[in-house]
Amino acid sequence: MPKNGYETAQAVRDTIYRASLALDDFSWQDWLDLCAPDEFHYMITSFSPEIGKNMIYLQGSWKEMKLMVDMLPKHNTDHSPLHRHTSVYTVDVSADGKTAEAVSSVVIYQNMLDGINSHIDSGESRLFLVGKYHDQFKIEDGVAKFTKRDTRLGNRRLDKGSHYPI
Amino acid sequence: MPARNHSQWMAKPPLADDEWIDSRIYSDQEIFEDEQEKIFKHVWVPVCHESELPKAYDFRTTSIAGEPVIICRGPDDEVRAFLNVCPHRGMLIERRPSGSFLEGQPSGNPKRITCMFHAWQFDMKGNCVYVAREKEGYQDRFCKEQAGLRRLRCEVKFGGFVWVNLDDKPSVSLEDWAGAPFECLRKTLDEEPLEIFHYHKAVIDTNYKLWHDTNSEFYHDFMHYHNRVTGFNDAYFARNNEAFPHGHVVVGTFEVNYENYEGFESRGELSFPHLPPNQWYMIDLFPGFNFNLRGSALRCDTVTPLGPDKVMIEFRGLGLKSDTEEERITRINHHNSIWGPFGRNLHEDLIGVAGQGTTMRPGTEERRILHGRQENQTIHDENGMRHYYEEWGRWVDRSPSQPDQAYSVRQGVAAAE
Repeated sequence: MPKNGYETAQAVRDTIYRASLALDDFSWQDWLDLCAPDEFHYMITSFSPEIGKNMIYLQGSWKEMKLMVDMLPKHNTDHSPLHRHTSVYTVDVSADGKTAEAVSSVVIYQNMLDGINSHIDSGESRLFLVGKYHDQFKIEDGVAKFTKRDTRLGNRRLDKGSHYPI
Repeated sequence: MPARNHSQWMAKPPLADDEWIDSRIYSDQEIFEDEQEKIFKHVWVPVCHESELPKAYDFRTTSIAGEPVIICRGPDDEVRAFLNVCPHRGMLIERRPSGSFLEGQPSGNPKRITCMFHAWQFDMKGNCVYVAREKEGYQDRFCKEQAGLRRLRCEVKFGGFVWVNLDDKPSVSLEDWAGAPFECLRKTLDEEPLEIFHYHKAVIDTNYKLWHDTNSEFYHDFMHYHNRVTGFNDAYFARNNEAFPHGHVVVGTFEVNYENYEGFESRGELSFPHLPPNQWYMIDLFPGFNFNLRGSALRCDTVTPLGPDKVMIEFRGLGLKSDTEEERITRINHHNSIWGPFGRNLHEDLIGVAGQGTTMRPGTEERRILHGRQENQTIHDENGMRHYYEEWGRWVDRSPSQPDQAYSVRQGVAAAE
């Protein structure tokens, strides 16, 4: 880790946690503002022991993710908000201090609003997804911006309510 | 008409008998048990794709009507199916969803299907080849030659899907069961090997037939912004809903305009063999299996009913085995954009059937479910569901609109025939 590695690692953590807050709030633009527009690549992946394959469930560039979230109002959706509990496990800063990689654990709860019967289900929180964020960053002026996020899910069972970037 | 009082609400709809059904067929425990016994234990089920067990000694496990099933590829390259049940004390033999028997297990040898409980071992043809301390325990009264697995009817067909039937003597062969509806895609699916690239499942609190209904009727395209902007044109509304024997339906094709959805692209360059660009075929097989080809990717849905108000749906996505890495990625992106768990359409379909499940839970008042749209058997005609429920009535011997009465051909069907 370079001389200023501690501060850079802190900047990386700050960006990861701010991204979790932005995604929890459906503040898509705030999330995209944490990503480098020309480089960012987003993926949701999972390994399926059932078919013995690494799978891609969703992927896109910054522009493609922007298009996707801009189109969300035109689509029907479950209205239950998601809450991410993110824990940054490792941050590795490159020798020149210009890039970094991080691995975080993420547990996502669905705070039921629609549910199956909202009269009964609303207000309850259910475990929704578990996985890890494998992130890459570029560091400029002490700020870490995402250049890549691979959300590696443990789930292959995904019921309704999975309409958004995770 | 203004909002109705209770007797108006419960009255028979002013439609032909086959144009509505009683919602108890979606919620009644006894009917669910009838369906398991009378339908699912006797029909051909596409349990997986052969590319899920590509090498000799690969296996895959599944279940049909509550019966655990194991699929194996033998050293002779044959794919076989057995009950995944040890003939000794009924232990589930293989507990993993997939794997290879090339490696030995703690209780058994390589190249054997081993029951971990008492180390009984079987070969890939289901022969019992080892009973631990056989002579000491059974003397000459019982031997491994009498302890083979329960074999099941199994065929690889229609694009490499593995079909299993629990019935030793099915009423019709697989070809006679599904050959006619698959005719529209037979050349396409059999031209070259396919390969699976996507798997996920959903467990939804709804009846399995409601999922199949949604796959069979396209009137719900009003729910899908994507389908409205890429589809609604004269060619779309002219698509045929064609009924086939055994309750199957095929929805005819047209050219989808994917570019009309912001950010999406034509799929023409990766069309499946023998198809013009951007075609969309749908094959719905009774009682709940769906093959959906949108130009560059094939989707297969398999339902496993878990109760009158609970279903597991397995979603598979397939491309061509010959795909380059770049082609495969593009196919996956096309597949995911609509059908992936984070895609535009599938999620909306799941919300739709979950909502139906909410209003038709066991114990709720029966409802009149309308299947009465008549549009010359084109895309928004509900003839697919009407055709399905006549087949359903015959299998369970119940009237779909009066399920506590025995089946008889309903008014609209009789008139049509």
